[in-house]
Amino acid sequence: MSLEDEYRSLRHGAALSRMDHVGLVRVSGEDATEAIDAICSGDLWVRDGRIIQTLILGEQGQPVADVYVCPDDDSCILMFEGITTEELSACLSQYADPELEIEFEDLRPAYELISVNGPYAWEAMSKWLTPDVIGLPYLSFYHFDRGTCFRAGKTGEYGYDLAIRSDYVEHAWEELLELVGALGGGEASLETLDLCALENGFFSVRHASASGLTPLELQLQWRVSARKSFPGATSIQERRAKGMNRRLTHFVAREGVHSGDPIHDVDGPVGQVTAAAFSPGIGGVAGMALLDLSLAHPGIDAFFVPTANADRPIRTLSSPLLFNRSLLVDPHQHTYGTRDETNDPPLWLGSLP
Amino acid sequence: MPTDLSDYVSSRAAVLDRVRRMLREAMKLRIEPESIDPDVPLFGTGLGMDSVDAVELVVQLDAVFGLTLAGSPWVSAKLRTVNTVVDAIMELRDEP
Repeated sequence: MSLEDEYRSLRHGAALSRMDHVGLVRVSGEDATEAIDAICSGDLWVRDGRIIQTLILGEQGQPVADVYVCPDDDSCILMFEGITTEELSACLSQYADPELEIEFEDLRPAYELISVNGPYAWEAMSKWLTPDVIGLPYLSFYHFDRGTCFRAGKTGEYGYDLAIRSDYVEHAWEELLELVGALGGGEASLETLDLCALENGFFSVRHASASGLTPLELQLQWRVSARKSFPGATSIQERRAKGMNRRLTHFVAREGVHSGDPIHDVDGPVGQVTAAAFSPGIGGVAGMALLDLSLAHPGIDAFFVPTANADRPIRTLSSPLLFNRSLLVDPHQHTYGTRDETNDPPLWLGSLP
Repeated sequence: MPTDLSDYVSSRAAVLDRVRRMLREAMKLRIEPESIDPDVPLFGTGLGMDSVDAVELVVQLDAVFGLTLAGSPWVSAKLRTVNTVVDAIMELRDEP
């Protein structure tokens, strides 16, 4: 499938993805939560069966891992992107109190992760697993006989991450592929997942130009505790005391804007593109830029990317950039079979500069 | 900076500040207003608001800004982040 086909699957039906880039571990023992709390930037105030999104920061305060923490009886399941399982284990050894009693278990290769995302992903999941999955709240999970279903996702659509026993995963993949195929969907690559995350304003550790930035500039302060110590906390406090001078802001452009490009206004440089990709839904470029704080607002048409031939105008906007189909689809009232896309508003309600 | 851009940015920053303070009070958030990021999601993740909070937010937006969202088919689009709320208030101000 082309990226455009994958995108259409995910934004209009349902798409199936392999999540080989995501680590999966279980930390057990009576001190499991305390140990994980020591390495994560956010406060781990969440009850069993729910999921909390947090970060692991480097000593300079830059995010090195995007983490889901899932408290599960006397243990926690962690799904994480950006670092390896060995690096996560080393982080625990370095920052958690060595007196804490924990057991660290890599759930791979015993389990593999796949995900189903899309406005009708719930329809595939309800047929594959149980109709009860429709009632599973966002950021919660439950176990079934062959794995665990996490109601999560970073696309702005209904999303389910599935940790499935390795001996069953290929069978599950084939069954789910057939189900999403009946919903106009198919397989979606990591590139498509990242594009959808960009359009919806989800943080991605794979946006390379974001390196060196802290949660303050990345608009991730809600994932940073002001009450506890964690790796990088001193750098965050120093940056906060010094005052922030740049902030990530979303934008759209017609074409020819790339990660790393400078952004100017009539007086000169005002920022830099940190991530950009062509969006089939927008029909142009969706991107994020680090802008001078005084100008880091949506709704501005005064910026451009200078090139040798012609300036390329950009328009800053609020994220999410799209009006996701999942906002319109109610699993208790709608189905893919009875959808009427002619009456739905377009994914993209704006215009390009 | 061109005057119209300067005016827009000042106006937008002022609305953003008022929305942050309103959220902090209405949702009893124990953080400073400037720690509420403009693109932070209001529901599910981010500020973690729920359906009860949504009702309170709609009431407050009407009372403080005259923004009427109750019954609007676009309410889910306008209440996604702090910035989308600010967008809605700015649009209201632009109406003749």
